[in-house]
Amino acid sequence: MSHQAAPDLWVDATSPLRALGRISTFAGRIAIRTVRPPWHGHLVLESLWTTTIRCVVPVIAVCAPFGMVMSLQGLEIFRIFGAQRLLSSLVSVAILRELAPVMASVLVAAQGGSSCTAELATMRIKEELDATEVMAVDSIQYHVVPRFLALTLACPLLYVAGAAAGIAGGFATAVWVKGETAGVYLSELWTLTGPADVWGGVAKTLIFGAIIGLVACYHGFHARGGAAGVGRAVNDTVVHSVVAFIIANYFLTSAFFGGQTL
Amino acid sequence: MSGLRTALASGTRQVGAFSWFVLDFTRAALRYGPPRGQVMREAWRIGIASLPILLTISAFVGTNLALQGFNAFRPLGGGRLVGMFVSLAGVRELAPMIAAAMVAAKAGTEMASQIAVMRIGEQVDALEVMAVNPYAYLVTPRLLGILLVLPALTIISIFFMVLSGYLVSVHQLGLNGSVFLHFASQGIAAVDFLYGALKAMYFGLVICTVSCFFGFTCQRGPEGVGQATNRAVVVSAVVCVCSNYFISEILYGGLS
Amino acid sequence: MSDSRPTIELLDVHKRFGDLVVLDGIDLAIPPGETTAIIGPSGTGKSVLLKHIVGLLQPDSGRVCCFGTDLTTATERQLYAVRQRFGMLFQGGALFDSMSVGENVAFPLEQHSKLSPAKVRQRVEEKLDLVGLPDTWDRAVSQLSGGQRKRVGLARAIVTDPEVVLFDEPTSGLDPLTSDQIDRLILTMKAHLGVTFVVISHDIVGTVRIADHIAMLHEGKLVAWDRTPAFLRSEIPIVRAFLQRNLVLPSGPDDVATLPSFG
Repeated sequence: MSHQAAPDLWVDATSPLRALGRISTFAGRIAIRTVRPPWHGHLVLESLWTTTIRCVVPVIAVCAPFGMVMSLQGLEIFRIFGAQRLLSSLVSVAILRELAPVMASVLVAAQGGSSCTAELATMRIKEELDATEVMAVDSIQYHVVPRFLALTLACPLLYVAGAAAGIAGGFATAVWVKGETAGVYLSELWTLTGPADVWGGVAKTLIFGAIIGLVACYHGFHARGGAAGVGRAVNDTVVHSVVAFIIANYFLTSAFFGGQTL
Repeated sequence: MSGLRTALASGTRQVGAFSWFVLDFTRAALRYGPPRGQVMREAWRIGIASLPILLTISAFVGTNLALQGFNAFRPLGGGRLVGMFVSLAGVRELAPMIAAAMVAAKAGTEMASQIAVMRIGEQVDALEVMAVNPYAYLVTPRLLGILLVLPALTIISIFFMVLSGYLVSVHQLGLNGSVFLHFASQGIAAVDFLYGALKAMYFGLVICTVSCFFGFTCQRGPEGVGQATNRAVVVSAVVCVCSNYFISEILYGGLS
Repeated sequence: MSDSRPTIELLDVHKRFGDLVVLDGIDLAIPPGETTAIIGPSGTGKSVLLKHIVGLLQPDSGRVCCFGTDLTTATERQLYAVRQRFGMLFQGGALFDSMSVGENVAFPLEQHSKLSPAKVRQRVEEKLDLVGLPDTWDRAVSQLSGGQRKRVGLARAIVTDPEVVLFDEPTSGLDPLTSDQIDRLILTMKAHLGVTFVVISHDIVGTVRIADHIAMLHEGKLVAWDRTPAFLRSEIPIVRAFLQRNLVLPSGPDDVATLPSFG
């Protein structure tokens, strides 16, 4: 165990580059099979439904406390300047533009992405994917594409739910715990933000969702090494997809919201 | 509706099972103590495993804090406050939580899947048969390791967040570096580091017990390992974030 | 060890998982210094029975006594004291993947004896020699074949020189030649060590070769229990059926061997 520590670090450091090549190839294979018939629409809807249901509780359970904490800490600062009425606009900026897209996607990666990987990896280990191929059904088209599309589409849906929960959480703390007035919180909510921010968040999460779907399907589809291999694949999925979309997030934020400041 | 009811019932059962697990583990930990030499090894492994992604994520969270803070404050004429925004949000909330989330995603899932594999490969039973308490042997060193390492990771994460926030503010947003640092230092008090470390230790406790619990209660077969790993990261993340609000309320809420 | 009181005694042991009755009133006494085999078709609770003997599972009712200690009422300390007198070979070997072969075998000694590292090393090499895997200390567990894993597991089970060694399907999932090797190994150890063996198996050929007593488990009950020669002459229909099915296929049926035998 100890003698593996050093090479692990090296592998961790270089594997993203090598994996990038393989994952692009895989992305191409998915893309071709997404547009080419036969389409398995019902599988996509089914998968979208299970993914959304699976993730909605964790997403809300994480986004709401984030909104609450924002209120808590935001009020600390704004009370110094006597600018409490700015609170809700700040909360909505942070939630809509950054926290809800990121936190919803983190939870989609942790819950939806990892279950998707676990399912595909289990099917790989139990030779179910091979069996599919032997029965002359394209295993990527039948098993991977629906899951990939489901994760891609579930992410924006869950972002909306998470954003609503976050803003509601902020309201709860500000009004019920800290005794600010509800009217002020609600009227200031949209002073800095507008529908464009929501659409920006949706666009972001669509991209994050595609990243999660791609990484999850890739690791699941290429799992090997028995039960331990499934665990490894799940672990890799969570870590790689989160790192990938957090980096993407910086560029997207710069493009969507940072552009006008430059 | 019946789906919801079974979900609630199984959730309640899990909470019960988790309480027993914590009780059993506490008893074993107090009675047997950690196996020799394992604690430092685990601390090292957890630290090394989580460090690269933690650094990456902290850096990119810092950049976005600066971008969004600037966007939010500039219309109010407070563009200079970005430094304070980055350091305050980073130190008090985001760094402990991001360090915890990354350790949960990396080291927590690893704990869950390692122990799950040992469970279904009868290695846990083998420990029992060799008269070695599996809780003391497998959980204690991981717990002590994570308690040692997570506060350190949190401090490193703070540093990286502020650094990347500084770089974006100065080079991308064109702010004055010394103004940034001035306001950044205003946002941080020494006690915040202590609070951050305390939070981190609490998160470490949650991540380790939750992940090991799902490893120990793994169902047979490869799907069991996948499920254990999946639940470990989701449940520990949710529990950490939810309880973070109450911790922040206690630590910072009463100060005003 | 010299008295003829049974080392392990099961009294009216009942166990169910949910609605599934696995053990339905088992009475069994395992004599010291001899080899007792428990046979039966897959899914009849043989592994469950074995897990009761080492206290990994507790019966719903009935008693399990090892070396005069009642495991159903024993404290953890007493249970661990009893277990230190046991060695057990698990079905898949249950080796720790994170350790080398040598570290695996040395593990029980490091946990429970005050031997110096050099002494430990010597003991481990000795046992690895005995199972026919000399000079494998540094080998990684992942590089071992199924048969080698079992042999390393066996070395680990006997490294503390236990008074009782338990085998959970020592030959399941192995090819006939390797099965043969393992059987011979058990016989050699029996001659060398003079300890009590309990073997769980559905491989009747191997069992006949190594066992002094055979007990047959069927649908949660012991349907037959006798010295090996008498057992083989048994007229009980289910025993006859089991023996015939297995003796027709002398190498041990692979289709049965790959089925999971838990519960």
